[in-house]
Amino acid sequence: MVDRGSMGPAPNRKRLLILVAALVLLFLFPTVLPRFYVYMAAIVLVYGLAATSLNLALGFGGLYQFHHAVFYGVGAYGAALLMMKTGLSPWLGFVVGPLVATLLGLVMGLICIRLSKLYFGMLQISLGSLVWAIVYRWYSFTGGDDGIHGVPVPDLISSSSNAYYFTLIVTLVSMYVMHRILKAPFGSVLQGIRDNPVRSEMIGVNVRRHQLMALVIASFFAGVAGSLFVAVDSTVFPDMLFWTLSMEMVIMCLLGGWLTFMGPMLGAAVIVALRTFVSTYTVYWALVLGIIMMLVIFFLPEGVLGWLIQLSRGKGRTKAEEGDAREDVSQGDR
Amino acid sequence: MGLSRTVILFIVSSGLSLILGVLRIPNVAHGSLYMIGAFMAFTISKATGGGSLGFWLALVGAPLGVALVSLICERGMFQYLYEREHLMLLLLTFAFSLVFGDLVKLVWGGEYKSVPVPAVFQGFVPLFGGLPFPIYNLFLLIVGPVVAVLLWFLVNGTRIGKIARAAAVDREMVGAVGINVSWVFASIFVIGCLLAGLGGALVAPTVSVTLGMDHTLIIEAFLIVIMGGLGNVWGALLGALIFGLTQSLGILVWPQFGIIFPYAAVIVVLLFRPTGLLRSTW
Amino acid sequence: MLEVEGLHKSFSGFKAVNGAHLEVKEGEIVAVIGPNGAGKTTLFNLITGILKPDGGRVIFKGEEIAGMPPHKVCKKGMSRSFQVVNVFPRLTVFENVRVSVLAREGRTWNMVTAANRMATGETARIIESVGLSGKVDRISAALSHGDRKVLEIAIALGGNPQFLILDEPTAGMSPEETSRCIDLIRKLSRELGLTILFCEHDMELVFAIANRIMVMVRGSTIVQGPCDEVRCNKAVQDAYLGGGDLCSV
Repeated sequence: MVDRGSMGPAPNRKRLLILVAALVLLFLFPTVLPRFYVYMAAIVLVYGLAATSLNLALGFGGLYQFHHAVFYGVGAYGAALLMMKTGLSPWLGFVVGPLVATLLGLVMGLICIRLSKLYFGMLQISLGSLVWAIVYRWYSFTGGDDGIHGVPVPDLISSSSNAYYFTLIVTLVSMYVMHRILKAPFGSVLQGIRDNPVRSEMIGVNVRRHQLMALVIASFFAGVAGSLFVAVDSTVFPDMLFWTLSMEMVIMCLLGGWLTFMGPMLGAAVIVALRTFVSTYTVYWALVLGIIMMLVIFFLPEGVLGWLIQLSRGKGRTKAEEGDAREDVSQGDR
Repeated sequence: MGLSRTVILFIVSSGLSLILGVLRIPNVAHGSLYMIGAFMAFTISKATGGGSLGFWLALVGAPLGVALVSLICERGMFQYLYEREHLMLLLLTFAFSLVFGDLVKLVWGGEYKSVPVPAVFQGFVPLFGGLPFPIYNLFLLIVGPVVAVLLWFLVNGTRIGKIARAAAVDREMVGAVGINVSWVFASIFVIGCLLAGLGGALVAPTVSVTLGMDHTLIIEAFLIVIMGGLGNVWGALLGALIFGLTQSLGILVWPQFGIIFPYAAVIVVLLFRPTGLLRSTW
Repeated sequence: MLEVEGLHKSFSGFKAVNGAHLEVKEGEIVAVIGPNGAGKTTLFNLITGILKPDGGRVIFKGEEIAGMPPHKVCKKGMSRSFQVVNVFPRLTVFENVRVSVLAREGRTWNMVTAANRMATGETARIIESVGLSGKVDRISAALSHGDRKVLEIAIALGGNPQFLILDEPTAGMSPEETSRCIDLIRKLSRELGLTILFCEHDMELVFAIANRIMVMVRGSTIVQGPCDEVRCNKAVQDAYLGGGDLCSV
């Protein structure tokens, strides 16, 4: 019988080596790179985490998650407001932010989940816009249009490199947990629901409830990403909840490959790097992004990572080999 | 004030409703086309000296200009993607909105532009109890229903409208009967975008024409369309009315958070009638 | 085991099911036949909970299940395969069946253990019993049509049902695949003791394996009884079997 649990020793060791090398590199960044690049790397991690959490609902769950930025933004505001307005330990911000985001995810999920596809997405956009409008207008509490600057993050992570390390560790843990969830039965069922909700119902799966859970998990990790942004940048602003950011996150997922686990992180890295690079030459970054998107939609609908996997797939390979290759890639880049 | 915005919203939303209802494209670029319409109106008006002639020329020229742009996009790109999933179409139109946004910045620059109200519509008319009502708004109040009726006639009365509605449901069947579905879709798309341009041209004299006018509008347009029922012209009208009314009411009653009211209204409607208030084509 | 009484369902004025009756006893193999559009699939959808009936009763193992959502119906011991192939296209054969087994075991909320290592024995057993062991690692979208229909049945078996509904199980199959499918259905009934309800257009198949037949025309049941009885029923012959006399076959 097929033992899906093990892979050949040679590829496993090679992947493990790459993984270790990548991790070492990531940890060495602050010592070799100037501060600006360390900051950029932290931003990549934050957006990558947010995009990965989005992809849990979108790519793996098949939900039309059109306004994910709300949870990201609410997580950030939750953390920032706690640090600014209460005398509690600022470390609590990193707990409260995600919790508030998760709560919002649960509430919005309960409201939206009875609808399907486009209607789900549109209702989420309306609810999200409502939240945005509240944050935007509540000047006395959230700083309104100005946002909040100079949030007092814990001293330990106030330096650029320490903030980076903190972000790196939290992101790695979060990615690991999400990966675990997707590899577990819940993940299989979720993908089954994505591909065939009717069939899933007929094998005894309560589709709505599983989708709701996926939504809640996705909003939790988005909240984590949001609070990490506060750690890195010490600011929050209403645009973090605006629908254009949600679209950008979707772009990251698509660009990297929304059927893969590491795709969104890759997409985030590409987008952030490109934006930084392009912005030094021209102010028309949106134009460049739009054109890139069109190219991706037409020629690379599976995303960069998806395309690479397809390349390595070739003809006639069985899923076992392909599955190994896919798992290799996702583990190797972790 | 709220009423004029309502009319504009209706015109733009009806175009979006058409595209979404018949072609199943969530056209995020609709807001950008509206903005382009406004900017084109500015240019035409400025080029003809800013007088009344300029206004009428702009009213005709800007929507046509936008229609041309949309035709190019449709023939060049969209027509190959009708079979793709909604997410891809949505992202493609979002890409267009990004491109258009920056193109506008490139061509027209970032400062506020203004379009003068034509002389014949300037001034106010005293209305119930002496409240001054801008004549231009009266003009809009006439244009709105006219557009609604024309559109309704187009969709329900003309051959093209009937074909489009049939094709929305079963494209293959319609094609098999020998009709060039591709051109029907193109026409519907262009008409929808023309409406966005018209909305932009109409709004230009009443607000400052700026970058970013697309962003808030597109959300409102989408919500109106969903609230009213996809593909339903009267639905767009109803939705726009509800939206405009709740917004005005909200700002009156609770100035700080009044803008929440329309969003809340949409949520309430969607909870009870998920496919919209009136019949949708989906 | 299953009783359907006076079931009604309309869609915008069109009566798809108009007073259908059905009775399936434990261990039986019952076939539902009727012309296209007679409402057979709608009937199955009503029984399995995908649709809510407008009127009538569905009683399964003594319990009213009309209007119950599909996932609850499945948990009661009823599983079904679909007429249009309805598998999980991006998963392998093995993963397809495994998901079904995990669902039945109630382990779909597990977010910790790697699914790779779970339920392998049970899944392998089911795959073997339907004869797909040689293709476990193929992505289901890449299977032949006939194999996919067999996979459908395997997925339904994952739920360890007592009652199996098969919606046109041999539609589109080659003669060889069809005879293998017949053997499979016989085996499921004999060795696993499953009660089977199916619908088919292939009359030979129906008369070969069914204990009893229910005939549906335009949404209503016109007769239900053993094969011979149905074959010789005049109304059935006129409505469906082309008016010819199959009694002497």
